[in-house]
Amino acid sequence: MDITLETVAEAVSKVASARGKGTLPNIMAFGRALKDLGVKVSLSQLLDASRSADLVDIAERGDFRELLRANLISQKEDFPVFDMLFDCFWREQSYERVPMETMDIQGTPTESQAPEGGDEEGGMEEAATEAVANENLPLENLDEFAVPTYSAQELMNRKDFSEMGTEESRAIARAILLIATKIATQISRRKKIGRKGPVIDPRTTMRRSMKFGGEVIEMSHRKRRIKKTKVVLLCDVSGSMDCYSRFLIQFMYGLQNELWGVETFVFSTSLSRITHLIRTKNIVDALDKISGTILGWSGGTNIGRSLHTFNRNFAPSMVTHRTVVVIISDGWDRGDVSLLEKEMQDIKRRAKKIIWLNPLLASENYEPLCKGMQAALPYLDLFLSVHNVNSLVSLGRTLQKMVA
Amino acid sequence: MDPKQLTIEQVQEILLKEKYVCDRSLATVVYLSLVMGKPLLLEGEAGVGKTEIAKVLSKVLGARLIRLQCYEGLDASTALYEWNYPKQMLHIKLEEIERGDKKQVETEIFTQDYLVKRPLLDAIQSEDAIPPVLLIDEIDRADMEFEAFLLEILSDFQITIPELGTVTAKHRPYVFLTSNRTREIHDALKRRCLYHWIEYPTFEKEYEIITTKFPEVETKMAQQICAFMQKVREMNFYKRPGVAETLDWATALIALNRKQLDDKSVIETMGCVLKYREDLSHLREQVENRQFSLEALLRTSPELVS
Repeated sequence: MDITLETVAEAVSKVASARGKGTLPNIMAFGRALKDLGVKVSLSQLLDASRSADLVDIAERGDFRELLRANLISQKEDFPVFDMLFDCFWREQSYERVPMETMDIQGTPTESQAPEGGDEEGGMEEAATEAVANENLPLENLDEFAVPTYSAQELMNRKDFSEMGTEESRAIARAILLIATKIATQISRRKKIGRKGPVIDPRTTMRRSMKFGGEVIEMSHRKRRIKKTKVVLLCDVSGSMDCYSRFLIQFMYGLQNELWGVETFVFSTSLSRITHLIRTKNIVDALDKISGTILGWSGGTNIGRSLHTFNRNFAPSMVTHRTVVVIISDGWDRGDVSLLEKEMQDIKRRAKKIIWLNPLLASENYEPLCKGMQAALPYLDLFLSVHNVNSLVSLGRTLQKMVA
Repeated sequence: MDPKQLTIEQVQEILLKEKYVCDRSLATVVYLSLVMGKPLLLEGEAGVGKTEIAKVLSKVLGARLIRLQCYEGLDASTALYEWNYPKQMLHIKLEEIERGDKKQVETEIFTQDYLVKRPLLDAIQSEDAIPPVLLIDEIDRADMEFEAFLLEILSDFQITIPELGTVTAKHRPYVFLTSNRTREIHDALKRRCLYHWIEYPTFEKEYEIITTKFPEVETKMAQQICAFMQKVREMNFYKRPGVAETLDWATALIALNRKQLDDKSVIETMGCVLKYREDLSHLREQVENRQFSLEALLRTSPELVS
């Protein structure tokens, strides 16, 4: 959901009837409005908030805000929504000595999920919604986007994602599940206790021998166990990737929901984190949320700048030596190539592997000549094509070899 | 001093006494956590003082600090409790020789004497007059599975040991969790905590931190250091330095008897702030090409209200 002043005001008016005298009903109503705006709030948090309300001087607006925020919000990304709602919700209350803080909504920081301004961006928003809505249309419409695609042999497995209907999506889902498990199962340094294994575990051996009166009969060993790798997915959703966006969404959604440690980002000219948006049970919900939030879908491409944002704001905490970074893009870059190169180098240094999936790679006459792709090539561990189900299966195999 | 009787201002004050500069919003959250007895989850970039606040607080409250450093592979036996198997075995062997009573031995070896207390049990069982401060550091480094162990402890302040029963805290410890956000913490755990995000300090706050920690520092140099750090955090470095680096640097400059910064001393001491070779050479280039002028920095930095 796109959070604007209007939606906030609407949420406030919806709960107006629930408000009453005293702190408890008001905080409950506030919590309900927060939930309406998509922030996760639990009853116990609300109860704690109202129970603690008399611990601060409610007339001190800043303290009261802090009290509610510490109790109800549990991730930094929800701060902007909270602040807007707080200002809107508690304004009408009779705070005689409370100075209203200016509602600087239009100038909200350019953080990935910061709510974007209202009206003037309506045009772009519509475009984005349309772009995503298009994905649900019969795919004949998309044939116009004849960016290099695979020559049409009518085998389903060979069919390009750009022209794929709904039935095929199951095949895709299966292939993704396969890939997900490949990525997810790597050998860990941590030892698991078992009967076989290279190392003897004295502590467990002693413990187990107690059933024989302390005589050591069975030896316990330690062996390595499966470790989970984290995946960061960076997905190009600019105009040149349009015909693949149906597949992209499915890929992102599938991977996110099959693996536990996946972070998902989309980029065109700027970067947005959508992990929290696609973490739902239902792909349609996910689509709704994305279309409401992401601007610049189908826009131009600036890979360098997007990666820069990623490296600056997210990579330090999200990318470790256990992380596989997967970039899906055609490499058509309109930005600064030297920046792209530098940022690739940075990612390379942090990450375990970088995989670049390029849908164009499938077409016979494609060579990675465009400057962006050229700059990125030296830093890649894998450069593969994704354009149909077959390619996904072979991607799965390659991954298996790579992590073995 | 009873922590439950404090006010927000007093929290700020006692922390300042131990040279921890904290703004009102952080003080409010710490105050709430103390009074409500609810754990506080602190997030923020590396080196902004997340761990420090728990340490300082335990000091000013006169409470014991129990610290659990999380790491990948941390499990219940290293965090909660473990039976002292070797001791149990020895006991059994001894009883064997003396042909002791079997039933009695069985009950004896599962008593407190044979229990190895790990930090979490230690914090819950503490008999101290002032409840201890429990610091669960870098929770994001531990596995997801480990968070589940924490749930019982953080909501009910009790630990269930199958052989002994449930151990409940006499006094609730003051719990602080820190996270660097290498992964998301599970909602169930977050729900049980108050939450606060610590930002990089503003110019004014950083200046206050330096002058509090080092009263002897020259005003001009303190300003220069802060302006420099603000700028460095805006620039494109691989690793952005935190307050910890600022303090390291200030210590180094004071030890070298510098009264103010110049290009040369910046380059000489930059190892305190930037810890990667590429970052260092990037900065050196900038300084040598005059793109990074200290004079200009100071001119544009905000005026201090003193």
